[in-house]
This record gives sequence, structure tokens and C-alpha cells, in this order.
Amino acid sequence: MADELVRMERINKYFGRVQALNDVTLSVRQNEIVGLLGDNGAGKSTLIKILSGALRADSGDIYMHGSKVNIRNTTDAIAQGIETIYQDSALVTQLSIARNLFLGREPVKGARFFDRLDQNAMNDAARELLKKVGITKEIPPTTPISALSGGERQAVAIARAMHFESELIILDEPTNNLGVDETQGVLRFVRNARDSGHSCIFIAHNIYHVFQVVDRIIVLRRGKKVADDIDPKQTTIEAVERIITGMAF
Amino acid sequence: MRSNSLLHRLISAPEFGPFVLLVGEIVVFTARSPVFLSPGNISNLLAFTPELGMITLGMTLLMTSGEFDLSVGSVFGFAPVMMWTFYNAHITSLEVGFLIAMVMAVAVGFANGWLVTRLKIPSFLVTLGMLLVVRGTALYITDGFPQRTWTSDSALMKVIVGEFSVGGLRIFASLLWFILFAVILGYVLTETKAGNWIQAAGGNPDAARARGVRVTYTKIVLFILTAVISAYAGVTSSIRVSAANPNSGTGYELEVIAMVVIGGTALTGGRGTIIGTVIGVLILRTMRDGIVLVGVPGLAYNIFIGAIILGMMALHSWLERRHHAGT
Repeated sequence: MADELVRMERINKYFGRVQALNDVTLSVRQNEIVGLLGDNGAGKSTLIKILSGALRADSGDIYMHGSKVNIRNTTDAIAQGIETIYQDSALVTQLSIARNLFLGREPVKGARFFDRLDQNAMNDAARELLKKVGITKEIPPTTPISALSGGERQAVAIARAMHFESELIILDEPTNNLGVDETQGVLRFVRNARDSGHSCIFIAHNIYHVFQVVDRIIVLRRGKKVADDIDPKQTTIEAVERIITGMAF
Repeated sequence: MRSNSLLHRLISAPEFGPFVLLVGEIVVFTARSPVFLSPGNISNLLAFTPELGMITLGMTLLMTSGEFDLSVGSVFGFAPVMMWTFYNAHITSLEVGFLIAMVMAVAVGFANGWLVTRLKIPSFLVTLGMLLVVRGTALYITDGFPQRTWTSDSALMKVIVGEFSVGGLRIFASLLWFILFAVILGYVLTETKAGNWIQAAGGNPDAARARGVRVTYTKIVLFILTAVISAYAGVTSSIRVSAANPNSGTGYELEVIAMVVIGGTALTGGRGTIIGTVIGVLILRTMRDGIVLVGVPGLAYNIFIGAIILGMMALHSWLERRHHAGT
């Protein structure tokens, strides 16, 4: 079995008197794509927001490579190698592809005082990355994000995660609002990400998409983990749907 | 759509429309008025333009970061009043008075930025309140009377707005400062990491913050920059016209914002251009000057300004939809 990359242990989270997460433990191994499924309100988003630093758990611990880490905000999470890609992919639409890729970590050339962006390096790296995530169309890296399609935007967000050596890429509903071709593109990027040594947590409403790419399925129901190691190759979509809705027993 | 030809890029640049308008204005005014291109008229045009222009440079960066500042006109009036009050009352030397005025501008800018970013009050309300506080302070301190500014012969005055002559043109040093500031801030906005942060802070602050961009810090620094550059412009003006009037700068905030948006900077943030702003400044100042020369009644001036603003906004929104037709 491959090494464990991240483990969330006994996570609890309350919103007022509502318990959103109840002792949830989750682990992801290296080079593994985990599908996180559950009905609306099952706690998927809450769990992922805790892992990506957007929310803090009321109790519970997070371990990376077996050692405990403290994730207080999204910057901490990114520093730990955890990158989250939301459906609107958190890009600045007015800025170019290259400027988005390096936002917050811009390469600078010349004297520090002049703070000069190394735009050539940014554009070259962006061109390489776009090829790597499978955008074959000739798109100049200086194109603003606003001129890209939904799938292309997801590709840029995934490229960013891959470039900065994120070990864990969390995809929160990455295929919402995408066309058929674009969805296939995103699924292909996810497979590419695994092949190049990244782990993924894949959250989607569409179980068919999840079945196509993941190695293992975890199911949450009403804040509790109800299934941990469903192998999509050994089960059917109908069986998983029954677990999600709680009609399994 | 993704043509790379130089001509196409030139036409689709946000500065292109304003540039054509400026050239058109100059052509029309030159054809209709013999004195428009005379050294005397150009000298007049270049006397006041840098003072308003400096404010627009700071405002361009601030608006690119998604905020704006209505208190610039009152700081423009307040800073020189403070400087000259300190000097005329023999409390400090002129140089120290100048520094005190600048530090006060830093405080005003910081207060604006802090209230907007920390208390999350919209910049419209914060800077509207600050406008009244700063203007009120200037009026209260001076009892509403202007301060004399011909009382000093400090070298600082020469450095800020010394007068010299180039081939029949009367030029003030303030023009050189304006050009220098424009070059520096244009460089900051387009070539630096700071510029990338400014654009990201205005375009999608949450995304920027998630990438580790210090959005709050960036905005506070820009509020301070805008206040300081407005104070500096006010000091420049007070020396040039030999009076520090507590009421000067009234109404500048809207003219400045108009100049910035005419140049192609988005009111909503994320996109800004210093070159466009400089063109926007020249458009409105040339219009104000030329329209009188060609015999249009001065009172009709605002009709033309309003029409230019509306026309340019329509153009920018059309270009935006055409060139960045996102899904």
C-alpha cells in the first residue's frame, strides 16, 4: 500500500447547535484519487473547507505525512501543499493566464527594489504548463482569463496546482456548468495529475464523473462517514446511490 | 478573435478610443481657433493640468484595486493650509511644515484605508465622511480665510513649482514632477509584482487573498498614496497661485474620477491604465480650454464633459464585451 499523504482525524464541527461533522476521519494516500460523495448537507463542503483552511474545526487533527499540521487559513493550506479548486476556480478574470498562475508568488528579476516581474519567465512557464494539462489549442499566456471557456479556466487552476507542487489537489464540483467536452477535459487533467505524482480529492454531484476517475469512494451522510473504501471497479452506481441516501440496510 | 497583429492590438487597447478623441479635439480646436496652439495658451494649459493630473495618477492605482477616494479634493485644500499656517504663525520652518502636512495626509489615507478594509465600510461612505472632516478642519483652522504663500523664499518652492521658459513656453517644475510620477506609477502598475497585486485585489479580492496576496495591506498603501499625492498637488497649487485657500479643490474628486474612467480604468476595479488616465486628463483639460476659445459659452462646458463621459463609458463597455466575451 502506498504511503499516507494526509489524514484528518476525528473532525467535529458545529454550526450553532447543528453538528455538521461528527467524528469524521479521512485519509488520502499518495498518488490516489479519492471521490467524496454525499447528499446536500452531508458535510462534504464543510470537511473540505476545513482541510483547505477556509473553516476551522471545533475539534480534531490534521496530519500531513504523519506529522500534525496547523491549518488556520488558506495560505497555511497552500504552504502545506493543499490546493483547492472551486467551481468558479478562484481566478482573477481581468488578469492574464500567466499573471494568474503566478499570483502571490510572482518571479521577480533584477534588483529587489525595482520589484520587476519576470514576465518572460512567467509566459514561458505558462506555455509549458498549458501543454502539460492538455490544452492543445494555441492560447497565448497573455490572454485574460475572461476570454477563456469554463473548461479552460479549470485547466488553468489545475495547472497552477501542479506547477506549485501541491501534493493534494481538492476539486470541489469542478465539472459543474461545464459542457461535455470540457468535462472530459477536466477528468483528463485529474488523471494527468495523478500520473505526475499528485493526490486528489474529487467532489461532484455527478456520480458518473466520479466513477470515471477515482480510485476509492468515501461517502458522508448527515455529518458522519458511512463508507470509506468503496472501489468503483467492484461496485455499481446504484449501490453507491443507496449508501448516499441511506437505503443500504 | 485572438489575432496578434499589431494594428488589432492597438485598436483593442482600452487607451485607443480616448486617444482618438484627444486627437480629434486638438484638430477641431486648432482648426476653429487661431490661438489654441499659441505658446500662451499651451502654457496656460500646462500650468494647472499637472496639479489635477497628479491626483488622477494616485486615483488610477486606487481604483484599479477596487476602491476610490472622494476626499482627494479636500486633502488638496487642507494640506497647503496646514503647511502655510504652521509657517506663517512662525511655529516651524516651511520645510518642516511641508513634512507635517504630508504626514497628516498619510494619516488621512491610512484612516480611509483602515475604515474601508478593516471595518468593511464601502469606500464611498468612508471617503465622503473624510471629505467633510478634512474640509471642515481646513475651514475651522483658517476661519475660512486663505493663507498667504508669498511670505517665503524657500528653495523648496522652486523645486516643487519653479518657473522656467522653454522656447517661448512658460513651464512649471510641477509638469516635470507629474511626468516623473506618471512614469513611476505606470511602471508600478504594469511591470511589478505590486502592480499584479493591485490588479488582483480589484479583480477578485477573495481569489487574490487565497493566493497569499496581502489585499488589505495593498489597499491601505494605495489610500495613503492617493492622499499624499493629493496633498502634494495642493501644495504645488498653493505656491503657484500664491494663496492657500481652505476651499480650493472643491469638486475635484468627481472631475478626477471622470478623467480616470474616461482613460479606460474600470470603476469596479481590476483593470487600470496610467497612459489612459494621462490621456483622460488631457481630454477634459483641453476641452475646458478649447471650448471657450472656439466661442461656446463657458456655462455649456459641463454638457460636453458629461457627453464625453457617457460616450467613453459606452465605448469601453462595448469593447469589453467584444474583446473579452467570456462564457
